[in-house]
Amino acid sequence: MADLAHEMDLGHPEHESTGIDNRKLGMWAFLSSEFLFFGALISNYLLYSNRAGFTGVYPSEIYDIPFTSVSSFVLLMSSLTMVLAHNALSRGDQGGTRTWLFATAALGAVFLGGQVFEFTEFITLYDMKLTTNPAASAFYLLTGFHGTHVAIGVIMLLSLWGISRRQGELSEKHGMNLELVGLYWHFVDIIWIVIFTVVYLLSVPPA
Amino acid sequence: MNVEEHTHHPTPAQYWKIAVVLGVLTAIEVAMYYINDAYNLGALNAVLLIILAGLKFVIVVGFYMHLRYEKPTLNRFFTAGFILAMALYTVVLTAMGVIAIRGA
Repeated sequence: MADLAHEMDLGHPEHESTGIDNRKLGMWAFLSSEFLFFGALISNYLLYSNRAGFTGVYPSEIYDIPFTSVSSFVLLMSSLTMVLAHNALSRGDQGGTRTWLFATAALGAVFLGGQVFEFTEFITLYDMKLTTNPAASAFYLLTGFHGTHVAIGVIMLLSLWGISRRQGELSEKHGMNLELVGLYWHFVDIIWIVIFTVVYLLSVPPA
Repeated sequence: MNVEEHTHHPTPAQYWKIAVVLGVLTAIEVAMYYINDAYNLGALNAVLLIILAGLKFVIVVGFYMHLRYEKPTLNRFFTAGFILAMALYTVVLTAMGVIAIRGA
C-alpha cells in the first residue's frame, strides 16, 4: 500500500505547465534522443553493410530471414501484451496487469534468446565476429545495442511485476511507471520494425 | 485507478485487431522479401518495404503509444523532431552516397 507521502502526491500529478505530465514529456524527450542514437547506428550500418573489399563474411550473406521474421513477430506481439497490461491497470484489473506484464517480459526474453542464438550461429558457423570487418562490427553494434535496450526493458517489466506481486497491486505512482515503461517498450519495438526492414530485408551483399 | 485515463483509448478488442493488422503487415513484408528474391523488383521492393515499415511504425506510435490520443503539443513535439531527424539522416546518407548506391 502507498505511504502517506505518496498518498499526498496522488491528487497532484507532477507539474504540468505544458498540460502534459512532466514525467511523460521527459520520457518522450528521452525516446527522441534515442531515435537519434539508433539513427546514427543504422546510418553506420548502411555505410558499411555492402561496401566491397572487406575480408570475411558479410552479415547480409548469412541472415536467416525465417528465423528473424519469427523473432520480429514475437517482439511485435509483446507490444500488444504491454498495451493490454496498461489497459488492465486503467480498468483496475490488477491480476490482468500482472499477467500481461509477465507475458510481455517473457516475449521480450524469447526475443533476446533468439538474438543470442543468432549471434552464436554467426560466430560459430560463419566465423563472423565483432572484429571480422566493418560491416560485421556495424551489425553487432546496432543489433547488440537494441538487444541491450530489450534486456533493460525486460528488467523494468519484471521489476514492476515483482512490485505488483509483493504489494498485491500497483499504486497510482507505479501506474505512471508502467505507462513510462510501456512507452519505452513500444519504442524498442518500433526501432526493431525499422531494423528488421532496413538491416534484414533490404540488405544486399556487395556486388 | 487513474493511469492517465483517456476515454477514447482503444478497447482490448481493438488492440487485438491492431495486432492482427501488424502481424499481416509483417507477413506481407516477409513475402515481399521472397517475391523480390524470385522476380527482382529492384527499387520498387525497397519502396514497398519502407512504406510497410512506415505503416507499422505509425500504427504502433499512434495506437499503442497513444500518441494520437495525446495533447497536440506532444504530438507536434514528436512529429517535428522525427521529421527533422529523418531529414538529417537522409541528407547525411545522400551526401555519403549510401542512398544512391542502394537505390541503384
